[in-house]
Amino acid sequence: MEKRNQRPTRVHSSIIADYRLIPGVPDEMIDAAGKIRPGWAKLIDAFDALGPTELAARFERADQYLRDAGVFYRKYDGAEGKERAWPLAHVPLIIDESEWASITAGLTQRAELLEQIAADVYGDNTLVSRGLLPPELVARNAEFLRPMVGIKPVSGHFLHFCAFELGRGPDGGWWVLGDRTQAPSGAGFALENRVATTRALSDIYAQMHVHRLAGFFRDFRDALFGEARENDGRVGILTPGQHNETYFEHAYIARYLGFMLLEGEDLVVDSGEVMVRTVAGLKPVSVLWRRMDASFTDPLELRVDSHIGTPGMTEALRQGSISMVNALGSGILETRALAAFMPQLSRALLGQPLQLPGIATWWCGQDAERRFVADHLDTMMVGPAFSTSLAFDDQKATVLGGALSPDEKSALLARLDASGGSLVGQEPVRLSTAPVYADGRLQPRPIALRVYAARTSKGWTIMPGGFARVGSTLDTTAIAMQRGGQAADVWVVSSKPVERVSLLPREGEKLVRNSSGSLPSRAADNLIWLGRYAERCEATVRILRAYNARLAEVSNPDLPILVDTRTYLDHIGVDAQFALPPGLLAAIDSAVHSASQIRDRFSPDGWLALTDLSKTARRFAAKLEPGDDATRAMTVLLRKLAGFSGLVHENMYRFAGWRFLELGRRLERGIQLASIVAWLTRKGAPDGALEMLLEIGDSVMTHRRRYSVSAGPASAIDLLVLDPLNPRSVLFQLAALREQLEALPDGVNEGQLSPAAKVALELHTKLVIAEPEQMTPETLHKLGIGIGNLAGVVAAAYFV
Amino acid sequence: MLYDVHLELHYDYDAPVHGDRHLIRVTPISMPGQQRVIATALTFDPKPDLETGFADFFGNAVTTIAYRDYHEKLNVRLSARVSVEDAEKAADLSPTLNGLKREITALWSLAPNSPHHFLGSSPRIDLDDAITAYALKSAAAGRSAEAIAYDLCQRIHADFAYDRKATGVDTTSTEAFALKRGVCQDFAQVMIAGLRGLGIPAGYVSGFLRTIPPKGKPRLEGADAMHAWVRVWCGLHAGWIDLDPTNAMFAGPDHITIGHGRDYADISPIVGVLRTSGHHKTTQAVDVVRVE
Repeated sequence: MEKRNQRPTRVHSSIIADYRLIPGVPDEMIDAAGKIRPGWAKLIDAFDALGPTELAARFERADQYLRDAGVFYRKYDGAEGKERAWPLAHVPLIIDESEWASITAGLTQRAELLEQIAADVYGDNTLVSRGLLPPELVARNAEFLRPMVGIKPVSGHFLHFCAFELGRGPDGGWWVLGDRTQAPSGAGFALENRVATTRALSDIYAQMHVHRLAGFFRDFRDALFGEARENDGRVGILTPGQHNETYFEHAYIARYLGFMLLEGEDLVVDSGEVMVRTVAGLKPVSVLWRRMDASFTDPLELRVDSHIGTPGMTEALRQGSISMVNALGSGILETRALAAFMPQLSRALLGQPLQLPGIATWWCGQDAERRFVADHLDTMMVGPAFSTSLAFDDQKATVLGGALSPDEKSALLARLDASGGSLVGQEPVRLSTAPVYADGRLQPRPIALRVYAARTSKGWTIMPGGFARVGSTLDTTAIAMQRGGQAADVWVVSSKPVERVSLLPREGEKLVRNSSGSLPSRAADNLIWLGRYAERCEATVRILRAYNARLAEVSNPDLPILVDTRTYLDHIGVDAQFALPPGLLAAIDSAVHSASQIRDRFSPDGWLALTDLSKTARRFAAKLEPGDDATRAMTVLLRKLAGFSGLVHENMYRFAGWRFLELGRRLERGIQLASIVAWLTRKGAPDGALEMLLEIGDSVMTHRRRYSVSAGPASAIDLLVLDPLNPRSVLFQLAALREQLEALPDGVNEGQLSPAAKVALELHTKLVIAEPEQMTPETLHKLGIGIGNLAGVVAAAYFV
Repeated sequence: MLYDVHLELHYDYDAPVHGDRHLIRVTPISMPGQQRVIATALTFDPKPDLETGFADFFGNAVTTIAYRDYHEKLNVRLSARVSVEDAEKAADLSPTLNGLKREITALWSLAPNSPHHFLGSSPRIDLDDAITAYALKSAAAGRSAEAIAYDLCQRIHADFAYDRKATGVDTTSTEAFALKRGVCQDFAQVMIAGLRGLGIPAGYVSGFLRTIPPKGKPRLEGADAMHAWVRVWCGLHAGWIDLDPTNAMFAGPDHITIGHGRDYADISPIVGVLRTSGHHKTTQAVDVVRVE
């Protein structure tokens, strides 16, 4: 381009100075004539203007954002998947809007075609009877769900949300490599990619007229809410749970779009209706955006071994009470062998050729096709016909004929003869390259595009962007993220300014509020336990700190107060011989576990604080010494716990969710206090017990001010049990419990208290009128049991 | 042949359960030319809070029941009067394996009884090289599909021991083949796996046997419980033919059909019980009496 030649001279060479194209492979940035493409020129100029140091700092800012936001996916390399940071490729892929328009048109046509195929396969089966689709491809397909045959989706459509994998072929045009109709993932990651990339390149982004993504999500959200409102029900995202590789994204989209995040066990089918168990009882759900493979959704009529489904889901679909996005059974459209029939299906169903070609595919269940594949084996990818993964993503089962040894080749030919119907031949995929940033410069890497289509009130809309998978090496097979690939933001650029969209209501649009009755019982249960475990950690850390501080002073572990405290800790499952006892680590793990199941409920900051606590504790556990070292470590943990509580309690909206978290905290603190006060005020407690108690109860200063005497059992009990103003007294916890329980759904109904609120009132009243002398260890013990029972009453009322 | 069928399934739970849901497939269906269902009554104790019925993909009669409240047992009772045709076994019209393959390829249908549904793996039956090799011994060159199926039926009866203790309802065909023993369900599923391995479409039949045999005939194995056998697609002219490998015979007037599927999973009498409660005691009683 002219402009490039006119650039001012710089001290450093351009970031693309040694960008080398691969002969015969099209590149996204440089065209066939060796010229930089229009959209890219601006970007590269901007990169060069920043200079290598600033650019690296900018990219680090994007990574920092992703770390802070806690964006992760799960990588499976053993029994349990590990959480991995989202691998952002920092350089966006730039596509001009005129080229994007042809992708949009092609994918709109394709989505419509797929819809018609699904409707036929689960309907009248004319494609089979007309000889357009071999019956074997359907009948022997595990994704053909027979219970769905004849069920017409209540929305009138099988498909609502699809993804497509695209690659640019050697001829320069875009090809469809695969269709994703089962439960396409990644749309949320596309959003996070956008946020992270614009954090780094906000000034460049602002100048480049990049089409926004928010409108796509807004329209799809409105479509689902619109459908739900017609049926007076809720919209939920159905997730397999936190062990799924893209659980983060499920939680993220739920939070972003205001949908409930639901697991199979949150739902129950009653009289043919899908209901969600909430803290306010069963509430109807009318749209489920499914991120779970169809066969797992119902253990009665689909996979009987599914533990994550909802018995009766199929019945609800048969009765037309729930809209499933996408319909159960639409996974059959992902079948690899179907690609062989798409051109003829398009002509038959739409009366048009495919606007975007697929990769050439031959299903070997037909004699002529089988012979063709056998004759051209060397240049053929051969793999399972019923696979739903892309050929180049499927290293285990798909082979390039030319790469086989003579023995392997004859074995494959024999398989083709014996069971050709289970095999498919495809031309090897060739991808274009695009620049990635590595070692301070840009280098070409193979890319594939993932583009999303959503059905809205205006028909299919295509997300103007998406994400590009970028290979870690020049090998096209390395673009899978599970094999080190990265994901880049895709910028569809316009020559004119673009419309700015956000999810906030537009002018004149009515604000829609979700009611507080939508907290699923499982989430509430996890919130209570998160509150309880966090408080339990704090109680334990306080005792350990007091213990280690004394140990450091006297360095005689046989001192009676130390022996006594060890005995107490032992009762609660904490072995103080360890500077950082396993019992404490277990409580921290439990808090993290509870929190991990409700990631959509609190801020990323709260989650980061909690995982930071867990990491710090583990680091300490490796090398901590009892005594002074441990005392200081406990102070650090206490501060981190306070940080977590502060973030959560100061930032969480006072919805039912927060109330359950608060209930957990108050219940646990009440139980812990009653227990430690009973122990340290008992007859025969060793010297120093009361000082220890006040320190554990964080009330040394208050005691000094309030009583101006040395601590006696009566003053300690007065302050830590009966004082209504001390946030660390049992009475204070009961007052807080009353307040929260009365504010819960059905807490007070026409003047009547709920059973849980009654129990809290009774416990509170007894304590209000009690005198310190009456608070014997036995009474305190009973009080602790009473609070424990209250937890049971809450669970019975809200979590059934 | 007119029969009164009585079936009772009883489950005692160790601990009370609630919110449970079950699918029940025990009611016989009418099949023109083969059997006619005159009357059926399916009752439950305790009475379910919800009861609906539908016909599944293969045309089987399914009843769904659900309970909201706690209960300690579940009792299912079926009474049915069924008339079974006593037709002469037709002459063998089936083609050879190659002929059968050509007929299947030319059949562009996904109707519930289309042979295409009965050729591949199914939830409980994997195509298994060892079973296919075993079945191949029945496929002498030039033999008809029906003759192959009949031979395999005889061989399984001869080579496998009837043993109630060896297998359970979840045993797969591969496991049962390794044991060479089991009950009607296992005999049927092994035979199905073998036939599919040869390219002969085969399905699973759930049903009942006449309890007291006709005078002078031996009592059939499996007559005191629900029974299972195999149906084999023997080409366009012969259609589906039922074979009972547990008793080494063509299914006849003593066989009363409940329904069909690819394997046990498609037509299990009750689904949902095991899920609800890890521990329960089960009893099953069957009585099939001929009425004149």
